[in-house]
Amino acid sequence: MMRDSRTRRIPMMLSALVALALAILPLPGAVDAFRPDFLVLVVFYWSIESPRAGGLALAFFSGLALDVIQGVVLGQHALALTLMAAWATHLRLRVRVFSVLSQCLTIFALLTGYQFILFWVDGATGNPVTSFSRWLAPVIGALIWPLMVGTLSRLHER
Amino acid sequence: MVAFRNTDASGRPTGLLLRCVLYALVALGLIIVDKRYDQLGHIRRWLSVVAYPVQVAVASPFEGWDWFRNSVTTRDALRVQNAQLEAELRMAQFRLQRYEALETETQRLRGLRNSTEGVASRFIIGDIMDVQLDAYRERVLVDKGARDGVFVGQAVLDAGGVFGQVARVGQLTSEVILLSDAAHAIPVQVNRTGLRTIAVGTGDTGRLKLPYLSTSSDVVAGDLLITSGLGGGFPAGYPVATVIDVKRDPAASLADVDARPAAALDRSRELLFVWSKSAQAAAAAPAAGPPAAGPSAAAAPPTAPAVTAMPAPAPTTAVKPVPKPVVKPVPKPASDLPSGANDQ
Repeated sequence: MMRDSRTRRIPMMLSALVALALAILPLPGAVDAFRPDFLVLVVFYWSIESPRAGGLALAFFSGLALDVIQGVVLGQHALALTLMAAWATHLRLRVRVFSVLSQCLTIFALLTGYQFILFWVDGATGNPVTSFSRWLAPVIGALIWPLMVGTLSRLHER
Repeated sequence: MVAFRNTDASGRPTGLLLRCVLYALVALGLIIVDKRYDQLGHIRRWLSVVAYPVQVAVASPFEGWDWFRNSVTTRDALRVQNAQLEAELRMAQFRLQRYEALETETQRLRGLRNSTEGVASRFIIGDIMDVQLDAYRERVLVDKGARDGVFVGQAVLDAGGVFGQVARVGQLTSEVILLSDAAHAIPVQVNRTGLRTIAVGTGDTGRLKLPYLSTSSDVVAGDLLITSGLGGGFPAGYPVATVIDVKRDPAASLADVDARPAAALDRSRELLFVWSKSAQAAAAAPAAGPPAAGPSAAAAPPTAPAVTAMPAPAPTTAVKPVPKPVVKPVPKPASDLPSGANDQ
C-alpha cells in the first residue's frame, strides 16, 4: 500500500521529540555510560524507512538540537548526523532485506562513523574527549536497534 | 522479524548526494563560524529558548516527585528538621558576628591597598535542572540565564565553596562548567602559607590536581585551598578544595598533589551566582559592545545590599578595564596535563 510521505511527518516528529527527551533524561552515573544515542537511531530509522519524508532535514535539525542542548560547537552533531543519515539512506534498500544481525552490524558501522565525526570535530575545535566510554555508545545502539525498529514500525503502521 | 515494509522502494530520492553535501556544508560553516568568529552567541541564546520546553518537560517529573515527597513528610520529621535548622542557624549567626567585624576590617585594609579585587557584591540563587548535558564533560544546566544578568565566566558557588563558572549563557538557562571538568582551571592559594598556584580539574568529580607545584613547595595533606582572586574571575577567599595527597618524587621537579573539592559537585541542587567587583568590571566591557540584549543590563552594579559597605577608594581599580577575565572555560596553560586523565 502506498502512503503519502506527508502522513509520516507526524510520527516522525513525535518520535524525534521523544528521543530527544530520552537523550537528556538524567540517569545515575553508572547507567549513564550505557545510554544509547536514541535520537541518532530514530533518525537512521526514518532515513531507511521513508527518506522521502525528509530524512536529511530531520537529521540536520535533530543534530542542531543536540548541539544546542549539549552546548558543544554549533553544527557538530548536525554534520555527523547529516552525513550518516545520507549514508543510511543510500543503503536503505539493502538494509531492508537484511537479516537482523546484518542490520545491527550496519547500524553499528553507521553509529561508529557518527561517533568518529564527533570525535574529530571535538579534536579540531580544541576540546578533545579522550575517554573510551564514548565508543561504547555504538555497541549499545546496535544492540538496541531491533527493539527500536519494532517500536517505531508499530507507531506508524496503525 | 525485523523488516521494513517496501512502501517507498519506488526509487532513490532525487539528489540525495546534492542535499547531503548542502546540509553538510551548512553544518561545517556553522562549526567554523561558531569556533572562529564567536558571532553565534545571540543565535545560540535564542535557540536555547527553543530547547527550554523539552528540558523543562524532562526535568519536571523529578521536580514533581521532590515536591510530592516534601509535601507528604510527616509532622515529626518536620519538627526534627526544624530543630536542626534552628541549631544550625544559631551557630551560623554566632559565627557571623565575628565575620562581619572581620569583613569590615578586611575591606578597610583592602581599601588602604587600593585593591578591591574579588569582593563579592551580589548573589542570586539558581537551581540545577535535572537534565543531562554532554555525557563526557562535567557540566550542569541551571535555570538562570541572560535574563537574570548571568554572564559568561561568572563565578558559581554552592554551600561548601566554589562550584565552577558559567561556560555559556542562554536566555533562560545557563551552563555551568564544574571545577572538576578536565578543561577547567582555577587560580588558588594555600590558605596556610599564601602560596599561589592553579588547581586543574581531572574529569573525576571528587578530585582536582595541582600540577604546578615544585617538589620543595610547602604544601601538606589537609591544607585548605582558597580562591586567590587573581585573574579577576573568582572573588578571593572562598574555599575551593582540601589537599588530600602530596607525592614528592625526588627525581621529578614537580610534586604530585591531589585535592578534594570543597563544594558538593555531585550532590548540590542550588547554586549561587556571584557578582564581584573585578569580574563585573571585566564583563562590563564586552557587554557594553552589542546593543541588543536589554536584559544584560541587569549585570550593572546593583543597589548595594548590605554586604557592599565599601570604603571610598574603590572606584580606581574597579573601573579599570581588566583586559579579559581569565574566565574562559579552558584557561589551563596546556603544557603538561596528562591528556588521558579524564576517565570519567
